[in-house]
Amino acid sequence: MSYYLVQTLNALSFSVLLMLTGLGLSLVLSLMNFVNLTHGSFFLLGGYVAIHWIGAGAPWWLAFPAAFVIAGTVGLVLDRFPFGRFYPRTHLMQVLLTYGLSVIFADLMRWGFGADTMSLPTPELLRGVVFVAGLPFPIYRLFIIASGGALAFGLWYAIDCTLWGAAIRACVIDRGIVETLGLNTRRIFTVGLVIAAGLGGLGGALGAGMLSAYPGLDEEVLLLALLVVVVGGLGSFGGTVLSALLLGFVTTFSRAWLPEFANFLSLGIMAAVLVIWPSGLVVRKMRQV
Amino acid sequence: MTSTSITRRQLLAATAASALGLGLTRPVRAAGGETPIKIALITSLSGPFAALGESMRAGLELLILESGGKMGGRRVTLLVEDDQGKPDEAVRKVRKLLSQDKVDILCGVISAAVALAIRDIVTDAKALTFISIAAANGLAREAASPYIFRPTKTSWMLGHTGALWTYDKIAKEGGLTLGSDYAAGREYVGDFMTTYRQQGGKLGQQLWTPLGTADFAPIVMNLAALSPAFVYAFFPGADAVRFLQQVRDFKLQDKIRVIGPGALFDQEDVLPAAGDAGMGGINTYHQSPGAPASAEFAALYQKVRNRLPGEASTSAYATGQVIRAGIEAVAGDIAQKDKLKERLLSAPVSTALGPMRFDSRNNQAILDIYVNEVRRGQDGKPFNTVVHTYPAIQDPGPKA
Repeated sequence: MSYYLVQTLNALSFSVLLMLTGLGLSLVLSLMNFVNLTHGSFFLLGGYVAIHWIGAGAPWWLAFPAAFVIAGTVGLVLDRFPFGRFYPRTHLMQVLLTYGLSVIFADLMRWGFGADTMSLPTPELLRGVVFVAGLPFPIYRLFIIASGGALAFGLWYAIDCTLWGAAIRACVIDRGIVETLGLNTRRIFTVGLVIAAGLGGLGGALGAGMLSAYPGLDEEVLLLALLVVVVGGLGSFGGTVLSALLLGFVTTFSRAWLPEFANFLSLGIMAAVLVIWPSGLVVRKMRQV
Repeated sequence: MTSTSITRRQLLAATAASALGLGLTRPVRAAGGETPIKIALITSLSGPFAALGESMRAGLELLILESGGKMGGRRVTLLVEDDQGKPDEAVRKVRKLLSQDKVDILCGVISAAVALAIRDIVTDAKALTFISIAAANGLAREAASPYIFRPTKTSWMLGHTGALWTYDKIAKEGGLTLGSDYAAGREYVGDFMTTYRQQGGKLGQQLWTPLGTADFAPIVMNLAALSPAFVYAFFPGADAVRFLQQVRDFKLQDKIRVIGPGALFDQEDVLPAAGDAGMGGINTYHQSPGAPASAEFAALYQKVRNRLPGEASTSAYATGQVIRAGIEAVAGDIAQKDKLKERLLSAPVSTALGPMRFDSRNNQAILDIYVNEVRRGQDGKPFNTVVHTYPAIQDPGPKA
């Protein structure tokens, strides 16, 4: 019994990690209709920032906001040039641009942070375990679950229940009308991209304690994030959260029971979901641009 | 006007003269020992093995520097090519190195797939090649080549010795294996199982997990539930770091004994990132920074790169030592390939990995294999400490 409880907690922590990688991507992809393949780079950058921040002896709890701010700043610069010019372009052009940039960023980070695997020097406070019905469970994972949950809730509230969120959503549906209402849509998109990039960085900082950071992690994360967003359905937060949970639980339990076929099972089930619901788990009606 | 314009005849004459000039000067230079020997290092500067590639380059550069940039009285130039860990890329680069750069000696190669992909090209071109890391058993067996030397281990040499040590010192039954599900993992674990069973040991479950597993927690929980006598495990690079750290995170480090081939606890590639999570691990490796043979190199490397050497840097350095011994035997006349090969096959070379003899059947190194235990070093950090040495381990070779 306790075994299943701990495996469920494992699945939950992995799901939250997937959700953290997916949320930022989902924001730009589904709400702003921009294919941002540099998202994995933001994630890895956030991881490196957190590792160096804590490694330098600065207060550990500031590492996560720092990762958010630095990745967000990079997002801001990219939004000024060249992303801004590509928001109205076709998806293919966006893919070409952002994929190329992600390759450049991977090289820059390898040059700047080195090619070695690095791991987060976890703060003393989060290093212990709690005993769940007799089996140990790391506190750091509980920390990931809690902070990921809080973030998802905050973001859902901001997008779905505030005027700012409504403005972003409106921009996607009809940018022209929003302009006529006197809102600067260009600025709204900038804010959206900065938040998404910052979330990517924050996800990387939190994830570094579980995944560590190394060249190549950016691509792995990007793939998982795309999977989560697409299976979840474009244009909805609920879908992203739901599909992160699905992927997290399927991966964790297939790894526990049939580790040899873990990839086959988890990807197979995700593919089956897409066959049954081609537009994802949660569908929102929106105009295709 | 005619004096400044170049006529066709003049042009032809000039071309002929310069061609003749080149043809004349070349042999003269060679006789004077002026043309440098070109050594090409094929390694990964990008892709999954980028960290190993950087270390390899540093190791080999250190040896060339230490030799005063000369081997057998001739200057040495080093060309480094990036294979990105991909066989097709490596094939392209090797073709370029052979036809365009006209290199004399090739060395390096991290991935076994790359080593197997370039095998036929270098063999057809009769280009002397030294494989520094790739461990595939096949290269010492059916795919052995008279032009390829392997101054490194085979998977069998590590899996076999790992099984001997485990059976003698750890447990005769109740253990299980956990491997990364790709060629190298299958070889290490497979060879471990064969020898362990030959010794009379009984093994439990075999667990496999895909390369690039992000979260080991579900598997670690299974290990906790099974509480085996030991786990023989193999993961490379970042997977190794994650596995060790997650075992520690779940407070199982003291409860589960982890044994593996050296890559799981590599001094340079894994231990700095894994930190204390690596403590207590046992591994069989042809390299150890604590082995007497590598003491000198370890001190030198630490001075240059401010870190302890692992397999990649030590292997590249040792490869350089082997190449140097060969070139010195022919006094820099690299064209005498047979004489160079004979030198390497006839007498041992003393390297940073230990004394190295080559098997004349397959040009595979016969090496001392160390049993390392990760303990605290002098600076308090995890350090691969030699607890036993299996002398002169020889791969079964073509008959196996």
